[in-house]
Amino acid sequence: MDFDYTPSELMAVAGARELQDREVVAVGLGLPVVASFLAKQTHAPNMTILFELGVIDPQPVDCGVGLADPRVWYRANVLSSFVDILGEVLHRGRVDVGFLGGLEVDQYGNLNTTLIGDPKGKFRHMIGSGGANDIASCARRTIIIMRHEERKLKKAISFITSPGFLTGGDSRLKAGLAGGPSRVITDKAIFSFHPETKQMMLTSVHPGITLQDVLGTMGFSPVVPEQVPYTEPPTQEQVRLIREVIDPLHMYMGKD
Amino acid sequence: MSKLTTLTEAVASISPGAHLALSGFAITRCTMAFAREVIRQGIKNLTISQCVGAMDSDLLVGSGSVDCLIYGGGSLDRFGRLNCVNRGIEDGSLTVEEYSSLSVAFRYLAGALGIPFIPIRSLRGSDLMVQLKQRACSDLANITDPFTGEDWPVLRPLLPDVAIVQVQAADEEGNAWIMGPRWDNTEQVRASKRTIVIAERLVSDEAIRQNPERTVIPGLFVSHVVELPYAAHPTSVFKAYDYDAAQIQAYVEATRTPESFQVYLDQYVFGVRDHWEYLERIGGLQHLNSLQADPVLGY
Repeated sequence: MDFDYTPSELMAVAGARELQDREVVAVGLGLPVVASFLAKQTHAPNMTILFELGVIDPQPVDCGVGLADPRVWYRANVLSSFVDILGEVLHRGRVDVGFLGGLEVDQYGNLNTTLIGDPKGKFRHMIGSGGANDIASCARRTIIIMRHEERKLKKAISFITSPGFLTGGDSRLKAGLAGGPSRVITDKAIFSFHPETKQMMLTSVHPGITLQDVLGTMGFSPVVPEQVPYTEPPTQEQVRLIREVIDPLHMYMGKD
Repeated sequence: MSKLTTLTEAVASISPGAHLALSGFAITRCTMAFAREVIRQGIKNLTISQCVGAMDSDLLVGSGSVDCLIYGGGSLDRFGRLNCVNRGIEDGSLTVEEYSSLSVAFRYLAGALGIPFIPIRSLRGSDLMVQLKQRACSDLANITDPFTGEDWPVLRPLLPDVAIVQVQAADEEGNAWIMGPRWDNTEQVRASKRTIVIAERLVSDEAIRQNPERTVIPGLFVSHVVELPYAAHPTSVFKAYDYDAAQIQAYVEATRTPESFQVYLDQYVFGVRDHWEYLERIGGLQHLNSLQADPVLGY
């Protein structure tokens, strides 16, 4: 290999690869913004990006500090409202992919962004749902992207903000929800979900990472198939786009 | 009919204990000058609602003006969390009804339409629903769809006493333009009993009539119109001015403890007589000029 990439860059590239041309994608805060802009500028030019507050298909030239930053609304096709985006597009069933970050995820892909600690005792309140619960409830599939740490990949999370497969099996369907998480992308590996039990299932391990690195740093045991391939590394062009065009100020990619 | 008045008069029309819907979203189009004046006038026991918690709510909560917050979570984007809101939730001093963005938007929509409840797909299976159902007089219930027999969560409408909306331009009657995304603002106005419009600039009745398709808020919903430039500072107003990154960072630092926040309040709220003195305090025209939006970029 004749170039370097960081774990964050690999995560963003892996996220981008999950998105297909012509899909409608509801994008949450953080790394999903970078991954979806990367997909749009490479293999998925006809993908439609949605931001919950009322933005359809923006073409930013500057990286912003979040969804409230006019930088990420720049050159949008539509500037409208929550009822339009989360209601008439998402709730109506027209969103193919929800793309979310999180603080904690459990083995069924349930996501916590609300609080850390004991909700009935001592806890720290964080950002809460925003549109995340709506997106996880209504999108045809959901991609989750987050750091691979034992305190984040937990057997029991402090609070279910956004539903994954709830308690596994058909519990999500019984709650009246279709869809569900399709991928969890971390800085060590990519997971999917077992078709019946809906437990997280190892899909690939990132180059340079061992199986022990993956399993030893999570709070539950995922399903591990006999053969686990390596994640495809980023191309030089993808890394260049992230560094020079999408996130030149390292607002999202961190300093790693 | 002209409803043009001063910020002081408009704020004086708010009763203690009122339910206010605020137009902010994180760090954009927040009703900051309004919030600072509410604090100066000592109006307390408020209920605040907005789909995504923003800097205007956080300031009011931190100043002790708010008893109850109805929101869908929120932050100051990359600058940080809503420290005052979070502290209030953690120590129990703030009553909070916490939803998702769309749940609050649907509650406003139901209020705007005058319907008794609204079904929603969201919240199912989540601890948000568990928490909401545990509340006394919960605003969430379940109902059987009379046509299909399916079970659906339903939400009670939100009917705020006053919506306060920060806009780019309005006429004296309150017909107002909002440039850029409107998040929950159109539904907030229509669900509320009345609306206070705070406009960056006043335009003529003729300017409105030349571009009626731009009117997002019809004057018939509006009780007071206030013309006040930079009234959302330090948050942004699309096509008018950018957010003030240094001032938002200073706010985030100040909100880390109640003691440091009191210093902030003394400096930027109680230590100034009005909005004009505030603008001088943060650097005056020279500083504000550096925040002016580029007409092409909008920021």
